[in-house]
Parts: sequence; C-alpha cells; structure tokens
Amino acid sequence: MSPTQPLAILFDATRCIDCRACMVACSAENNVPMDDTRVWLTGAGVMGTFPDLQRASMPYHCMHCLEPACASACPVGAWTKREDGPVVYDSSRCIGCRYCMNACPFGVPHFDWNMGLLDQPLISKCSMCAHRLDLGEQPACVQTCLTEALRFGPRDQMLAEAKNRIAANPGKYVEHVYGESENGGTSFLILSHVPFEQLGLPQVPEQPVNTLSETVMRGTIPFALGWAVALTAVAGAVRLNQRGQKDPAGPTEIADQDLVAAQPVEEERAP
Amino acid sequence: MTALIAWTQLRRFRPSPAVLILGAFVIIGVIVALIRYAFGIGAISNLNNSYSWGIWISFDLLCGVALGAGAFTMAAIVYILDLKEFRPILRPSILTGFLGYAMVIVALLVDLGRPERIWHMMIYQNGHSVLLEVGVCVMLYTAVLALEFLPVLLERTAWDRPVHILHAITLPLVILGVVLSTLHQSSLGSLFLIMPAKLNPLWYSPLLPVFFFLTAVSVGLAMVILESSASARAFHRGLELQLLSRLARAIPFVLGLYLVLRLGDLAAGGKLGLLLPNRPLAVLLWVELIAGAAIPIVLFSRRDVRQSPRGLLIGALLIIGGVILNRFDVSLFAQQHLGGQGYLPSLGEFAISFGIVSGGILAFAFVAKFFPLFGDEEHRPVVVDQ
Repeated sequence: MSPTQPLAILFDATRCIDCRACMVACSAENNVPMDDTRVWLTGAGVMGTFPDLQRASMPYHCMHCLEPACASACPVGAWTKREDGPVVYDSSRCIGCRYCMNACPFGVPHFDWNMGLLDQPLISKCSMCAHRLDLGEQPACVQTCLTEALRFGPRDQMLAEAKNRIAANPGKYVEHVYGESENGGTSFLILSHVPFEQLGLPQVPEQPVNTLSETVMRGTIPFALGWAVALTAVAGAVRLNQRGQKDPAGPTEIADQDLVAAQPVEEERAP
Repeated sequence: MTALIAWTQLRRFRPSPAVLILGAFVIIGVIVALIRYAFGIGAISNLNNSYSWGIWISFDLLCGVALGAGAFTMAAIVYILDLKEFRPILRPSILTGFLGYAMVIVALLVDLGRPERIWHMMIYQNGHSVLLEVGVCVMLYTAVLALEFLPVLLERTAWDRPVHILHAITLPLVILGVVLSTLHQSSLGSLFLIMPAKLNPLWYSPLLPVFFFLTAVSVGLAMVILESSASARAFHRGLELQLLSRLARAIPFVLGLYLVLRLGDLAAGGKLGLLLPNRPLAVLLWVELIAGAAIPIVLFSRRDVRQSPRGLLIGALLIIGGVILNRFDVSLFAQQHLGGQGYLPSLGEFAISFGIVSGGILAFAFVAKFFPLFGDEEHRPVVVDQ
C-alpha cells in the first residue's frame, strides 16, 4: 500500500466480549493511567433475561473524521488530519480552551482537569497510535484484540469488508456502517447488531458539522472591510449634511473636540 | 499636583460597607484562583468532560462581552452619527465597556487550561476557527477601549500630549472599534454554528451571528440606561433623562428586528411546532422572547414609560435578563452534553465570577470618584462626598 493511503479501524460489536484488553493495551502503549485511557467502554452491556441474553459493548474511540471539527475549531491549529487517517495533536500549541471538546460531535477529546499550571494540563484523545503507523505497525488496541472485533487497514477495504459482513449475514447487523457517512465520513467504522444509540453513539448529520462555520469565517474579512467603508461613508455623509445646514448661518459650531471636551488644564499645572 | 490631591483623598478614604463586601469577594476570588492554578480547574469547579464549558463561559465571557456592548454603540452614536448631545453618557459607557472586557479577560485567564500560552493566538492562527476571530477581536478591541478611555485618566495631568494625538485619531479609532465589535459580538453566536447536532433546534440557526449582534446592540443600550441609573443613585447625580429616553426609543427597532428574524427563522425552518410549551426548553424560549424582547418593545414604544426613570430601569432590566438567559440557553441549557456526566456550578466557580464582577464594580467606583468621568462634572474639581 502507498504510504498516504487513508487507513481506518473497523469495529464489529457482535464480536466484542467486553474484555477491555484494548484499554490495557492503550494504557501501556500511550503511557496513560487505566482510569484515563483514550479508549473507554460504552454500550448497554448485557441485555435481556436468561437464556435470551445479548451483549452490546464497544471501545469508544476517536472517530478520526475525514473532516474533523476539532481541527476546524481549534484557534491555534493544534489538531491536524494526517493523510493516512489519524487526527493528531500538537500539544506544544494547545492553550486549553476546550473548544475542540465542544465542537466534536462525538464527545471524544478529554481534558486533564486535575492538573495545575506546573503539571501542564492538556487535551487527550486517541491518536490511532500514529507513532506505530509510522513504523508500519497496527494501533495497539487492534493488535491486542482477542476476537478480531477490531480490524485495521485501508479505509475502502474496511468499508467493503463491513458491507460484505452485512450482506453475508442477513438479519445479524443493523444495515448501516456507522462512520461511512457520519460527519462526512470517519476513519473508525462500526458494525452493530443493536441500534447505534445503545452503543453510546450519537446521531450526527452527514454534512460535516464545521461546514457552516467555515463558510461564515470565509466571509469575515470581506465583511469587515465593507463595514468599515460603510461606517466611514456614514460618518462623512453626516458631517457633510451638517455643514450644508450650518453654512448659511456662518461657522457657529465649535471645532470638534472628539472623545473629551478639551480641558483647560493650565491653571492646574500652576504650583 | 493631581496625584497629591488624590493621595490625600485616599488617606482620608473610609471604605463603606458595600466597598468592604465587594473587596471581600475579590479576595475570596483571588484565593480560589490560586487554588485553581496550583491544583487544576477540577479542584475548584464541577467542569468535566461532558460539560467542558460552564458558567465562566456562559456568564463571564458571553454575557460579559454582550453587556459591554454599550461602549461601541455609544461611540458610534456620538462619533459616527455625530450626535454630540449624547456626550455626557459616553465616558461612563466606555469605562463600563473597558472594565467589562478586562473582566472577560481575567475570567479567561482562569478558565483557559494553559493561560500562560494565550499569546499563541497571535502566532499560531487557524483561519477556520471562529474562536480565533473572537480572541483576536476581543484583544484588539480591549486595546481600542483603553485608548478611547485614556484621555479621561490623563487630561488632568500635565502630560496631555497623548490626549491631543488621541483626539486627532478619534474617528478612525471609533470606526475600528465598531468593526471589531460587530465581528466578535456576532462571532460569539457563530461559535455555536459548529454544533448543529448538539444545540437544540429552537436555538440552532444559521442566523446565530445576526441574533447575537442585534441582542448585543439592544442590551448595550439597556446597560447604558442601567449604568446611568445606578450612577445617579450612587454618586447623587442628576439622571440624564432626556438622553436616556431618546436611546430607549431606538430599542424597539433593534429588538423588533431581532424578534421578527427570530420568529421568521423558526417558521422558515419548520420549527414552530417545537414552540409548544410542553417542554422546559420551549418555556425558556418563551421567557426569552416575551419577557426579554416583546414586553420591552411594548414598554419602550410608550412615551410615558420612556420619560419615567422607573419605567426606563424596568425595561432595561428585562432586556438584560433576557439576553443573559439567551446566552445561558445557547451555551449551556439547550446543549446536548455527550458522555453522561452532569454539571452544577460549584461554589468555587461562583467565587471566581463574583470576585471578578466585584472587582469591576470597585474599579468603576474608583474611577468615578477620582477622575472626570461624568460630562456634567467636567469643570468641577474633584470632591469626595463624605
């Protein structure tokens, strides 16, 4: 495969046994504490009454959107989408404003709430183990998954694989690959046997959420220039109009003294 | 000489109970902020990964900037429309605006995870980010406000050279201030355009920037009325009733335009059905639109209300309450928060907000006491009312 081929993770909820080995692998690989891993388990857990039991769980991941809202929102450009898939973080830029957390339609970025200034708090989220991809390896969670609930490969192949599984197993899956079109498409694709809400996934529109805000931002500079010209024109017109009215009576108006009426400060200067 | 007078006055200064209470709030706020810097935002707040923005953003940032809108509105009236008769209420509005923005910046220095890096906005700029536009405009406009207010601080000193320079560039400075204000007042609404799936459809609209701008203009005028009324009481001055009455006359046009656009937008989006007041959120919107917009429009359309200090104050307070509710709705109440954690603001969060507001009031009172703030006192010597 070419180095810039977009990669993706495919998760199949029917294969997940809630063993949390992915979380342990993430914790070890990225050196984050277990109660603060970048992957966390969501889902309805075990449902139904014995013997008709059903399990629904999933490792909640960064979706690695094709058009990430976090990257669009970040004022200092700390987030970038790599061509091979991961959305990665430049911690040296981050100012801790947490707008990315608000912008993300999947609620993924987390913040180090209990770190003071000296501890240098940051945002954390899954990086798709970008450092491992650079070495040609798979993300740690995928490599450790016992049941192959997590798979990794080129996005188009993963998408085709997902659709094959739906077609080959009628009635087994919800007939939709979550992430194919959500927020304009993501690099984390999800197959499920239960409605996606039960895995803790939100409903997200197909149009990337940052479409409208970026359109508005493009208009900002032209609007500012036009508004400045308009205000100048109004100020000029008002003054011309006043001059026209006052000319017959002669120059009675006191010279414009602007922000403050100029003060006779001379006497105060005297000792 | 002036400094000497001010110093002797300070020595004789006996703080009133109100000043002592406000001062205590400031000290408590500083202590809580120190704890936050030592142990993290989580140590003093209930903010979490579901609610990453709380009352510091809803109140201190969004309301603070909106309530400071009187400064650019009054500057536009006096210098662009050249209505010189409004000059007596210009200076206090600019001071209110400057202190309001200073308070916003102090709040952000508490709320930002890495406040020591706030200058990164100047070197790493992401042109797609609405928050970048807000940040840069707020920084620049605060500087403009400082320049607009500087003459008040300097004019009684011997060092009046900068005052003359500032006089010469007043009009360009005011136009710059109005452009920056228009941009960031509306951009605070644009901040939420990126949350179409999270913000309730009753509030989510492509017109959010327009709504934020129009409500900022109306609440700016309302704040001028409130601040003049409060100053008249606190400093035993006459109320500029005729001027305020004329300002109030403009409000129904601005708020009326807002109301028409807001309802038209809901109708165009097919959202009128959501207005049925059977859910708490719909009720909040009704309160916003009726108490915060429709009633003030009716009140300020009546001459007798505009001519009464009490009527002016009630109308202004309704508008202010409506805009505060609107900003909380958009940024907090009507947001869908993913991840399942709840949020109730902590005492520490309130302590920060109270401390900042108290500091702002104290600073206003200090300037009002020792500097020629009110137009009608320009030629009077400073007198301490004891």
